[in-house]
Amino acid sequence: MADVLFDIAADKLESSTGLDRLAARGTLRIALKEAGLDPQSLSVPQLRAVFEKLMPRELEARGVADAVSASNAAIDAIERAASETDLAAATSPDEIFKRLGGS
Amino acid sequence: MEENAYLTSIAAGAFYVIVGARLLRLGRRTRERPEQWLGIYFGLSGAFYLGYHLPSLLGFGAWSRGAAWVVEWTYIVGVFPYLFFIRSVFRPDARWSAALVGICTVFLLLGTGVAMAQGEVIYALDNPWYLTQWVGYTVPCVWMCVEALLATRSARKRVRIGLCAPIVANRYLLFALFGGFQILACIADLSLANELGSDRAISLVSDALLGGSEIASVAVLWLAFFPPRFYGDWIARRAVALPTPMDGQRDG
Repeated sequence: MADVLFDIAADKLESSTGLDRLAARGTLRIALKEAGLDPQSLSVPQLRAVFEKLMPRELEARGVADAVSASNAAIDAIERAASETDLAAATSPDEIFKRLGGS
Repeated sequence: MEENAYLTSIAAGAFYVIVGARLLRLGRRTRERPEQWLGIYFGLSGAFYLGYHLPSLLGFGAWSRGAAWVVEWTYIVGVFPYLFFIRSVFRPDARWSAALVGICTVFLLLGTGVAMAQGEVIYALDNPWYLTQWVGYTVPCVWMCVEALLATRSARKRVRIGLCAPIVANRYLLFALFGGFQILACIADLSLANELGSDRAISLVSDALLGGSEIASVAVLWLAFFPPRFYGDWIARRAVALPTPMDGQRDG
């Protein structure tokens, strides 16, 4: 289901920034790679962190005006869309490795 | 055999049993498979190490043939949950990972099964069934090392944006090191098999490689499962968090 979340995120990024579909998906992939995230195993909190901390810089580099506002608008739209979709988050390796240490 | 290494193997075995028990207790509480599989792996590995060296330690000669096979199979059976752990954590949906689990399983069962039919595991490099078994238990160590290294690299990026705790990213690295030290132990097995198969004396190099890799394995597992406070603090201090662009704009 996480690949569905990637599609939702790319769609919302496209509509919030005016980037075309290919550019929006490419920008999202670059930001996810920068964040060390796999597009096929995403969660909404992970996307929020990416859109808050990395996406504004990526959008600025692509000439998007007011990149921070565009990022905020995109992540808000993603969260709304995700809440309307049944997205079962898989257990991430991070969660498992956190448990292993008893923390 | 390996006179110096056997003391470190006994210490490692005892430690693995402790780690296994801790993980099984954790698994009973969380009802999650990964910790249960890893707990079984460490428990059986520890039992194997202790069982293998118990006759030397207690000075009662050697196990009976039946008991020796129980000890041998204890280790082999323990590798299966290790494979399940690696797959379920890192590649749960990949077909190739299921195939790799299957191939390792076949190698382990074939190598050990044929050795059992022949009456004993003949530790020699010209014995294809020993090498078959060796591949079966070495590949999971390589797999763990590679997956944990890849996970370390991506986790360090997530640490920068607050998506991964520094101690968790470090735990991936420790598991990669554990996999690496186990690979060294497997190489030491080959070296010992070469020396045993050719009636040569066990060399200091093989002995040191086996003992050293076991000591190093215990050290990294201790840091992974029982991290002392100073270590956790040190890892946290080394982590560099990325500032939030939004925060910067609000501040400005």
